[in-house]
Amino acid sequence: MRSKFITLSIAISTLAFTLSAQAHDPKEHMNNAEKPDCAAMENMDHSKMDMNDPVMQAMMKQCMGDMEGMEGMEGMEGMSGSEAPQGDKPAQHGNESSTEQTGHNH
Amino acid sequence: MAANKFLRCGKCLMITAVVAMLGCLAFLYSGLYPMGADVPHNGLTYWGLETMRERSIARAASAIEVPNDLASSERLLKGAADYNAMCASCHLKPGKNQSDFTLGLYPAPPNLAQKGDEHGHDGGHDDNTYALQRQFWIIKHGIKASGMPSWAPGHDDERIWNMVSFLQRLPELSTRQYQVLTARSDSTKERVH
Repeated sequence: MRSKFITLSIAISTLAFTLSAQAHDPKEHMNNAEKPDCAAMENMDHSKMDMNDPVMQAMMKQCMGDMEGMEGMEGMEGMSGSEAPQGDKPAQHGNESSTEQTGHNH
Repeated sequence: MAANKFLRCGKCLMITAVVAMLGCLAFLYSGLYPMGADVPHNGLTYWGLETMRERSIARAASAIEVPNDLASSERLLKGAADYNAMCASCHLKPGKNQSDFTLGLYPAPPNLAQKGDEHGHDGGHDDNTYALQRQFWIIKHGIKASGMPSWAPGHDDERIWNMVSFLQRLPELSTRQYQVLTARSDSTKERVH
């Protein structure tokens, strides 16, 4: 009886410890998160944007809601990572020039 | 005769080793070494610690398999948000050159908004695959007595790779790009499960 009680106590305390150490959910960061400042993207020359650049694609995804109906942005809505154009290929780096084209360099 | 000489030499070496060991112990217990983060290590200690760190990471990280979709925009976005929440206060971001942590921590955390050859903490390797393996390993396991924690408890490998993905593009981002990528939009909330 006593050993059962000890076993149960150890099991409960181990479970409590394990639960407290579990992964923190990314949503936890969102409580005091700021919204993306998409206004700057609206003023950019979209003909110079490189839609194959993963940075550009990621920014478009972030600003999709704000940029609906913008010229050249049609078809980007609802684009998932797997549907994204060639930029999602493993080629790492090499997009410095295309990032320049976003016109965000100061 | 020769054996006698060998024995005498061995005895001398043994005595020297014991004296050296006792000297080291006496130094350890004397409290003379400055442990404050505001006093840098001497050259020998710094070299020893750095060499041990880099050799240890190289041995441990060399077998890590690098995912082939590291450049994807999905990984970039997920990693960006985590970097901003977990790393930027020490490793900085575009438009920020110092923080209380970078000023006070020793060794100072590298400014990851700069390229490897600019911040000088890339391990001195030209091999891009190893650079990725090294970053993954350091984020996952941390580094003893450096202020760099292990993020393995609470973060799976995929999440750590997302941060590695973001690090590859961070040095070339402008402040505005950084803001857009790291912000938590409504669509980000939908993406995060």
